[in-house]
Amino acid sequence: MKKLIIFSLTILAFGCTGDFEQVVDFKDVENPNLSEESVVGQPNSASIWLTGLERQLGLVFNETLVLAELGSDNYVNTQTFFNQFMDGLEIQITDPDMRDTQRQIQRLRELAVFGLEAVGPGDPNYNSEIEAEFNFFEGLSYLFSAMYFSALPQEPVGVPVTSEQHYQNAIVAFDAALALNAKPEYHLAKARANYYLGNKSAAVTAASAALTLSGDFDRVVLFDEANGPSNTFENALYQRATFDDLQPLPTLDFLDPKYSFLSTSQDAPVHYLKAEEAYLILAEANLSDNDIVAARANLTSLLDLIDTREVRTINDNIEQRSQVAEGSRPDSDDIVVNGRSGLVLDRQSDLVDVPSVSGTSLTAADVTAMQDDDAGLSLLYRTRQEVFIAEGLRFVDMGVKLVIDENEILLNENINEGDLGTVPVIPSFIAAIVGDLDAINYVPGSGVATTVIDLNDILVANKTSASVVPFE
Amino acid sequence: MRAKLAWMLTPLLVLCMSFSYGQEKTISGNVTDQTGLPLPGVSIVVVGTTNGTQTDFDGNYSISASTGQVLRFSYIGQKTVERTIGTSSTINVQMEEDAQALEEVIVTGQGSGIARRKLSTTVDVLDAEDIDKLPANQIDQLLQSTTPSAQVRLSSGQPGTAAIIRTRGPISAASSATPVIIVDGIRVDNLNSNPQLGIGTGGANVSALADIPVESIEKIEYIKGGAATTLYGADAANGVIQIITKKGKDGKSSAFFETNIGVIKGTTDYLKYDRTAEALFEPGLSQEFKVGLNGGSEKFSYNFAGALYTDDSFNDINEQIRRSFTFGFTAKVTEKLQYQGSFSYVNFESNLDYNANTSFSRFSGIEGSARGDTDAFTDAEWQDELARYRRIGELVDITSTTNRITAANKFIYDINDALQVNATIGIDTRNTVQESLQSNALLVELGSIAPGTTDQGALSRVLRSAFTLTTDVNITHRANTDNFSFVSILGGQFFRTSDRQNRLDGSGGVDGTRSLNNFSEQAFSDFVLENANYGLYFLENIGIYNVAFLEFGGRLDRNTASGSNTDALFLPKVGITYNLSDHDFYRDAAISNVLSTVRLRANYGEATNFAQPFSQDRTFAQNPFLGGPSFTFNNPGNDELVSERVKTTEFGVELGFFNNRLFLSGTRYVGVTKDALFTPQSAPSTGQLNQIQNIGEVENKGYEFELRATPIQTEKHNLSVTLSYNTNDNLVTDSGGAPAFVVGGFTVLGSVVEEGQSLGYLRGTAAVLQDDGTYAFEPNTALGDTFAPNFGSMGLNYTWGDFNFFATADYQFGGKITDLSFLLRHLRGTDDTGIPEELIGTTSPFNYVNFFVFDNDFLKVRNIGASYNFGEIAKPLFSNIRLGVTVTNPFNWTAGNFDPETTGSGISAQNGFASGGFAYGTESAPRTYVASLRFEF
Repeated sequence: MKKLIIFSLTILAFGCTGDFEQVVDFKDVENPNLSEESVVGQPNSASIWLTGLERQLGLVFNETLVLAELGSDNYVNTQTFFNQFMDGLEIQITDPDMRDTQRQIQRLRELAVFGLEAVGPGDPNYNSEIEAEFNFFEGLSYLFSAMYFSALPQEPVGVPVTSEQHYQNAIVAFDAALALNAKPEYHLAKARANYYLGNKSAAVTAASAALTLSGDFDRVVLFDEANGPSNTFENALYQRATFDDLQPLPTLDFLDPKYSFLSTSQDAPVHYLKAEEAYLILAEANLSDNDIVAARANLTSLLDLIDTREVRTINDNIEQRSQVAEGSRPDSDDIVVNGRSGLVLDRQSDLVDVPSVSGTSLTAADVTAMQDDDAGLSLLYRTRQEVFIAEGLRFVDMGVKLVIDENEILLNENINEGDLGTVPVIPSFIAAIVGDLDAINYVPGSGVATTVIDLNDILVANKTSASVVPFE
Repeated sequence: MRAKLAWMLTPLLVLCMSFSYGQEKTISGNVTDQTGLPLPGVSIVVVGTTNGTQTDFDGNYSISASTGQVLRFSYIGQKTVERTIGTSSTINVQMEEDAQALEEVIVTGQGSGIARRKLSTTVDVLDAEDIDKLPANQIDQLLQSTTPSAQVRLSSGQPGTAAIIRTRGPISAASSATPVIIVDGIRVDNLNSNPQLGIGTGGANVSALADIPVESIEKIEYIKGGAATTLYGADAANGVIQIITKKGKDGKSSAFFETNIGVIKGTTDYLKYDRTAEALFEPGLSQEFKVGLNGGSEKFSYNFAGALYTDDSFNDINEQIRRSFTFGFTAKVTEKLQYQGSFSYVNFESNLDYNANTSFSRFSGIEGSARGDTDAFTDAEWQDELARYRRIGELVDITSTTNRITAANKFIYDINDALQVNATIGIDTRNTVQESLQSNALLVELGSIAPGTTDQGALSRVLRSAFTLTTDVNITHRANTDNFSFVSILGGQFFRTSDRQNRLDGSGGVDGTRSLNNFSEQAFSDFVLENANYGLYFLENIGIYNVAFLEFGGRLDRNTASGSNTDALFLPKVGITYNLSDHDFYRDAAISNVLSTVRLRANYGEATNFAQPFSQDRTFAQNPFLGGPSFTFNNPGNDELVSERVKTTEFGVELGFFNNRLFLSGTRYVGVTKDALFTPQSAPSTGQLNQIQNIGEVENKGYEFELRATPIQTEKHNLSVTLSYNTNDNLVTDSGGAPAFVVGGFTVLGSVVEEGQSLGYLRGTAAVLQDDGTYAFEPNTALGDTFAPNFGSMGLNYTWGDFNFFATADYQFGGKITDLSFLLRHLRGTDDTGIPEELIGTTSPFNYVNFFVFDNDFLKVRNIGASYNFGEIAKPLFSNIRLGVTVTNPFNWTAGNFDPETTGSGISAQNGFASGGFAYGTESAPRTYVASLRFEF
C-alpha cells in the first residue's frame, strides 16, 4: 500500500511535467510583424493593397503640395517650419523635402507595381476594376514624376528618364487602366499628361472623353484625421498654432483656406482630378486654335460646374493675416487688390464662405468680354490658378522643376551631380522675378493692396517658351 | 596530550572566570586609525556573545563586558584587532590599515566579486557616504559630477526628464548611450527616451532613470565599457551601472528619520528675456521625509528605508511626487548557505509642460519670440501676454505616473572554502501611464481652434509595461599555491525583457472628462518589443606572486533579437595588471615612502549592442485607413544583420604618492565599433524605408585622468580634492559607402553620421565670406562635434571634526551646439545678433546656419553642501543629529548665452541616438536650496 502511494504520488508529481516545458521556456518571444505570406496570396489582399495605394497618395500630396504651393506665387511662408527654401525657389539637392517628395512618389510606383505583379495575381478575388486602379496609381506616380521633376529614375536606382518620358509612361499606364475599366479621371489624367506634353489633340480627346463619362466628376485624395495621414496642407492653411502660417497672395485670399476642419475622423480631401480641369484644357486648346466662341462655351460650362461645387461656411477667426505682426497683410473685405474688390475676406467678424472644391473670381461677364488675345489667355491662367489653388498645379504651370535628392545621386550609379534632374529648372523669366513672386505692396489701413507682379501676364508674355503655356 | 588537556580545561576556565568575575564592568576607550584620527563606526563585539557596539563620531565607545573576555574591533580597510579585557576599564586602540582588506571588492557582474587590485579595468565607485550627502533623487543626478569619467547632461529642468549619459564617446548610431543598469544583480528598465508610442511634449520626456530606487544604496559602480563589460551580456557596450543596496549589518541596530525642505528656483542665467522668468517661473518648495532601519545579528541582518518626496518645481505648473520604500536582508540559512534579498517599490508622479518642438510650448514661444519681440511689448501688451501664458499654463495637462517594483534574490552557497556557488533571480517591473489632455479650452487659448468650439478636445493615454527577468548561476573557485593564486568563474546568465505599449487617442471631445469613452473618435496603436538573451561566461584571474594578475575570459551569447541565421556570439576579454609597489623589495625600499603605489594595467575586451528585435525581417504594415485596412511595405529586411561589436583596448597606470595621499590614475583607451549599425537613407527611387545595416565603423580614442589628493589630514582636519580630465576623439572611420545620414535635429541643420567625421556632428549650409565681400553658401559644411571632446569633474571635501563641507562641479569644452531659440527669433525677425547685414532677408536662414552654432563649453558647479553632526549633544535621545544644507546648480559659466545642456528635443526614437547638439526650448535644471535634518537612533 505504502509503495502504491509513493508510486502514485511520483506519477502525479512527474505527470505534470508533460506541459511544464512552456513554463520554463523563457526564450519564446513575440514577433508582432506582418510577413509577406500574410499579404501575398491571401483573399481580398488586392483590395486592401488598393486602400494602401489611396493612403500612399495622401502621403505623396503631403509632400508635393507644400513644395509646389510655396514655390508658386500662391502662398508665402511667413514663419513656419514647412519648407524654408521654396518661397525663394532655392531648390537644392540637400533639401530633405526633395528626398521625401521623390521617395513618396516612387513608393507609390513600387506599391502599384507590387500590386500588379504579386498581390493582385495572388488574390482569388482580384478583378479588373482593382487592376485598373493599380495601373492608374502606377500612372499617377509617373505623372507626378513628370510634373515635378525634370528627370527621375523610373525603377529602383535606375537610369533617370526625362519629364517627357514620364508623361509618356503615365499615358501608357492610364491607357492600361482605361482598357480595363474606363473612368473619367483616367481620361483626365491622360489629358493632363498630354496637356503638359503639348499634345493638343490628344489632350482634347482625353478631356472630352472624360467629360463624356461625367460632367462633374471629382477624384479626391482622402485623409484620415484619426489614424493618419492627415492633410498636411490643411494644417498649413487652416490649423493655427503659433508657427503655422502660410499666407495666400491677396488676390487669392477669398479661396483660402480651401481645406478646413471636416471631422475628427476624416480630414479635408484634395480634389486632384476634377472635371474643371477638362474644361480648362478644352478652353485653352480652343484659344490656341483661335476659337474664342468655343473657349467661352468651355468657360461657361466651367462656371456652371463651379456653381454646383461645395462652398463651406467656416469660422476662420483664429487666422490672422500676419507676417509676425497681426494685420500686416490685407485682412478686410473692403480692401481692393490690384483694382479688384471682393477678393479679401474679413475673417474676424463673421463666418466666411470658402469654396472647398473649386472657386473663381471669373464671372459670366468676364467670359462674355473675353477675347482671343493675351489678356484672354492671362484670364484663363488666372482662372487656372484660382481653380487649382492648393492642388499643386500652379507650380507646374510655371515650368519649374525640383531636383533629385543627394542620397539618390550618391547611391545611384546612373546619376552624377550636374546631370539633368540634379539641377533645378527655373525658366529665366521666372528666375528674374523670384523675389517678387509673393511680394505685395500694402500699407495697413490704406484699403489698397497690389501684388508687385502679375505672374499670369508674365506666363502669357513668355508663352512661346517651351517651359510654359504648352499649347502656344 | 597537552593540547587535549588545554581543550578540556578551557571551558572550565571560562566557567570559573565568569563565575569568579561574574560582575560586568563598562569598558570604554577611543579608536583611531594609524594616523591618529578617530574612527567612527568601528564595530566592537564581545567575542562569543551577541553583545556589540560601534564607536561614535569621535571614535569613542563604551561597552559592558567582563574581565577576561575578548573585544574584537573591526572596520573596513583596517586590520581586525582583538584585545582581552584586563583590569583596566579603558582600552584605546590604534588600528592599522590592512593592505589586503583595502582591496575593494568589485562586483564585476558575475561570480563572487574580485579585488580591485586584481582587475585590469577601471571602475568608478560611489559609496553610501557620497550618496547620502547629495540631495538628488535620481540616479543620473547622483552620478553627475561625482563620477570622474562620465558625462551626465541634464536635458531639461522639468521633473523626471532624461539625462544624456555617456562615457567613452558615442559608440553607436543605433542606440542611446545609456548604460545597462543593474540593481543587486537584476537588470532594470533603463529607457532613457520617450517610449515608441509616448506622448510627445516637443522635447523633455520622462525617463526610466527617474524612478530607479536610490534609497539604501550601499554603493554604485560605474563600469565604462570595453573589457569590463564583456561578461555582462550582449547589450552592455555602453557600460554598466551596478547598484548594490544595503542589506543591514551585523551589529548594533540603528534607525534614522530625516526631513528635507528645499526651495527650487528657476535659473535665469540662460534666458534671453527676463520676461520669460516673469511669465513662467515661480519658486517652489520641496519636501521630503525619510525613515530607515538597519541592524541584525550574525545570522540575519536587515535594512529598510522609506521616503516621501514632493516638490512643486520652479515654474507655475510642474509638480512631482515620489513615494518609495525598499528593504534588503541577508540571512545565514546554514553555515554554508547565505540568502540575500532586496525589494524596492517606487511610485513616481509628475507632469510636464510643452517644450521646444511644438508651437504649444510657452517657454519656446516666449524665448523664441513667437508672438513678436518679447521685449518690444509695451507694459500693457505684456500684461495681456502674461495673463494669456498663465491661462495656458493652467490648462496644460500632461501627466506621467509610474509604479516600479524591483526584487532581487541571491543565494550564496559555499561548497567548501575554495568553491562558491552564486545564484541570482529577480525581476523588475515598471508600469507607466502617460496622459495628455488637450481640452477645447486649451486649444482655444492657444489660438489653435476658434473660440466657442466645444467638440475638438483630445485625450491621449499611453500605457507602457516593461518587465525584465534576470537569472544567473555561477560558480567561483579560488585556489592558492605558494606563488600563484587562481580565481575561476564559470556561469550562465539569462535575461528577458518585454516592453508592451498601448496608446489610446480620443478626439472630438467635450471638456470635463478624462475618459476616452467620452471622445467621439477613438484610435489606438500598440507596440511590443520582446527579447530573450542568454549566455555562458567564464573568467580566470591568475595571480602571479600576488603582484601581477592575468585575467582572461569570455561570454558566449545568444539572443532572440538577431536573425535566425545568426550564430551565437563569442565575446573575449583578456587583461593584465601589475602592482609593482606590492613587491616586498619595493615596500622595503625608501622610494615607497614617496611613491607608494605603482600599478600598470592593460586589457582588451569586446562588447556588443544589438538592433531592435526583428529588424532583420522583411515586413509589411497594415494601417487602418478611413475605417478599413490598408497594406504597405514596412521594413525592407536585411538577412545579414548582426550585433555591432565594440572592441576596446585599454592601458592604464596608477600612481600613489605619500601613502596614496596623492593618487593619479591615467587610462588610454581605443574602442572600435565594428559592424556598426547604421540606418542610412535608402535610395529614394526604391520607394522603400531605410534599413538598419552593419555597414559602419566608429572609433573612439581618448585619455582618462583622475587625481585624488588629501592635502590636509590631521587629527581634526581632512581636506580631499578630486579632479578628472577626459578626452574623447570620435571618428566614423567607415560608413560602408552610405551617404551621410541625419540622426538628430533637422535635416537642413542636422546631427549627421558621415565617414571622416565624428558621430552625430553638426552639418548644415554655411555662409562663408568671400574675398569680394559677398557670401558663398556652402551646403553640408561641418559645423562641429556635438560631443564635447574634453570633459571632467572636480570635487572638494573638507571635514573638521563633526563639520563637513563639500562641492562638486563638472565641465566640458571643445564641442559645438545649436541655439535653436536664437534661430527661431531670427526667423521671426526679432533677433539678428551677429548675423551679417548682407544675409538678413536675402535668403533662408537655413542657408547660414553657421551663425546659430556656438561652443558648448561650460563649467558648472553642481553641488555645494555642508553638514554638521551634533553627536554628543544629541544624546541620549538620539545617537546623532545631522544638519545639512546643500545648494545645487549655484554657479555656472558657459561659452554661449544659452544652456548647452538643454537638449531634450534631440532624441527621436525609443532608445534612439542622442547627439545633444541642439539646445532648444526647455528650461534648465533649476537651482535648489535644501536643508536636511537627520535624527539617528
